[in-house]
Amino acid sequence: MSRHARTLEQQFKIPTVCVAGSNIVGYATGYDFLYTNGSPIRYIALPFPVAGQPKSVHRQYIEGKDLLSGKQTMQAIVDALTKPLTENEKVKGPAPEAKPEARLLPPDTEENLQRLFKEKDWTDYAPVILPTEKRVARMLQGTSHKPDEIIKIVTWPGGARPLTVEKAAICAVMAGAKPEYLPIILALATSVPFGNSTTSMANMIVVNGPIRKEAGMNPRGHALGPYNDANAVIGRTFTLMSKTAGGLHNRVTAWSSLGNNLQYNNLCFAENEEELPAGWDPLHVQMGFKPLESVVTVGVGWSYISSVGSVQHLYPPHKLIRDYMKSLSAQGSSATILMDPTVAALLKNVHGFNTKQMLAQWLSQNVEKTAESYWGNAVVASISASLALQGLEPYATWKKLPEEALIKPFNQPQGIQIVVVGGKTQSTWFATDFRLGRGVLIDSWK
Amino acid sequence: MKRKFLIFGCPFLIAVLLVVAFGFSQSDSAPLTTVLSPAVANKLAERLPLAPRLDTLEGKTVYMVDINWGGPEAALSIFEEMQAWFAKNMPTVKTVIKMKRGGYEADDPALWKEIKDSRGDAAILGVSG
Repeated sequence: MSRHARTLEQQFKIPTVCVAGSNIVGYATGYDFLYTNGSPIRYIALPFPVAGQPKSVHRQYIEGKDLLSGKQTMQAIVDALTKPLTENEKVKGPAPEAKPEARLLPPDTEENLQRLFKEKDWTDYAPVILPTEKRVARMLQGTSHKPDEIIKIVTWPGGARPLTVEKAAICAVMAGAKPEYLPIILALATSVPFGNSTTSMANMIVVNGPIRKEAGMNPRGHALGPYNDANAVIGRTFTLMSKTAGGLHNRVTAWSSLGNNLQYNNLCFAENEEELPAGWDPLHVQMGFKPLESVVTVGVGWSYISSVGSVQHLYPPHKLIRDYMKSLSAQGSSATILMDPTVAALLKNVHGFNTKQMLAQWLSQNVEKTAESYWGNAVVASISASLALQGLEPYATWKKLPEEALIKPFNQPQGIQIVVVGGKTQSTWFATDFRLGRGVLIDSWK
Repeated sequence: MKRKFLIFGCPFLIAVLLVVAFGFSQSDSAPLTTVLSPAVANKLAERLPLAPRLDTLEGKTVYMVDINWGGPEAALSIFEEMQAWFAKNMPTVKTVIKMKRGGYEADDPALWKEIKDSRGDAAILGVSG
C-alpha cells in the first residue's frame, strides 16, 4: 500500500493517507519506509483485524481512535491530508551507501559468541557451529566459485543485501554442513529468503539428480524426518541464510501470526527417483532438465495433510487424495502430493495412472469444493477475486455462482505436482498446498 | 560465637572463595575464537518527500481506494463509513470510492491517472490488516 501512496504523492502530487490495521503499521512506517519505500507515508492505525469484519465493527473503528495519534480516526485522516509537512517529510536524496559489515567479529569465547549469534537473531536458536576462517575455508572447497561472488542481491523484505558465496558458506558451517553439500546450498541461496507472510507460510525443498547420492541425501525411509545429515542440514542452512542475508527478524520484518514449524528444516528431501514407476518422470525431468542434471526446487505453501493410514483396497488412494485436497485453498491451482513408492506403484499398476501428469489431470477434474468455501479463503479472495473483477475466467464465473455450487478449483493440472519419496514401509502419502517454483541447476554451483 | 564461626563460617567462606576463584580462572582461561560474521550489510532506500498538504478539505474531492486486501468485500464498508462521516460532518467534501484492479500489491496506473484527471485533491488508501 505504501508503494501506491508513494506513486500518488510523487508522480501526481496528491496528498495521500494510508489506513491499515495495527499489525501492519509498524512495519510500514519502520523497516519498509527505511529500506524500501523511502517516502514517509502518513498512516492511520485501526485495531486489528480489519479485513473480513462486519460493518458494525468497521463503524466502531471509524468512530473510534487512530491508534497512532490517539485522535478520533476521521479527524486523524483529515489532519494527515491537511497538516503541513514536517522537515523529515520533505527530505529528498539518494540512498546513503550501505555501511559495510566487518568480515570478522572481535575474538571472544565460544560461549559468548554462541550468545551473540542468538542475540543478533542469526540462528534458529539451536546451537550453531561457529564459522571460523578455517572452517569456512574448508567449506569453500565444495565449490569452484570465488568467495566474493554475489549469488543474488536480496531485496525482499526491503533493502538490498548482497548474498555472496562466502556468506552462504558461513551459514553452511553454522548449520553443520559438509563441503559436498555446498553446491546444493549455493543453488538454494538463489531462492533466499524463505516464505514470509503474516499467514505463517513455509517452504519445501526437493532435490533431484545425481547429487542426491553424492551428498548422501536420503530419499527413502524417514526422508522427511530427523534421520539424515544432509536432509537436515541443507534444510537448516536455508533457514539460516533467510535470517541473515534474508534479513528476516521477528516483528521487524517477519510477522507470521502463528509461525510455521516447517521453517526449521523447510521440508528438505530428495525424490526417490530409483523407485519411480516406469513412465513416472522425476520432478526435474518434468521441468525439462536432463535426468543426469542435479536440480533443487523450492516451493511455498502452508499445509501438510497426511493420509494417516495405509492404502485401502475398497477406496483407492487417488480418491482419498482427492477428498483431502478439498481442504487445501487451491490458490493458483497449486498442490504437491508426496507419496511413498508403494502408493505410486499401485496408482500406476492397478489404477492405470501411467504418468504423474495423468494423476494430476484426474485430480484437477475431480477435486470439487463449494464456491463459498473457495472464496472463503482470504488469500484466494485477495488474488483470484481481483482476477474475477477483471473478467478473467473461470474466476469471473465462479464469483457469480451460488454459495453451494460446486467448482473444480484445481483448474490447472500443471499446478499439481507429484513427488515420490519414502522407504516402502507403509503405503502413505501427504497432500500439501505447496506451489513448487522453477528448479535451479545445482551443477553450475560445483 | 568465635568458635561457631570457625566451625561453620570458615569452611563456608573457603568454599565460596574456591568457587569464585575457580570460576574466574575458567573464564580467564577460555580460549578466544575469531569467527566470520554472517551479517550482510543492508542499503537504505532513496528518500522521497511527501506532496504538499492541502489547506483544507472543504470543497475538495477525496478519492477512497480499496486496495483489495482480503478480497473486494473485506474492507469496503470501512470506506462507506468514512463516506457517511464526511457527508454528515464535512458535507462540502466530495468522496469517490474506487476499487483498485489486481491484487493488493499490483499497480494500477490507470486508476492513479483517473484520480489525477478527475481533479482528485486527496486520496485515502486502505485497508490492509
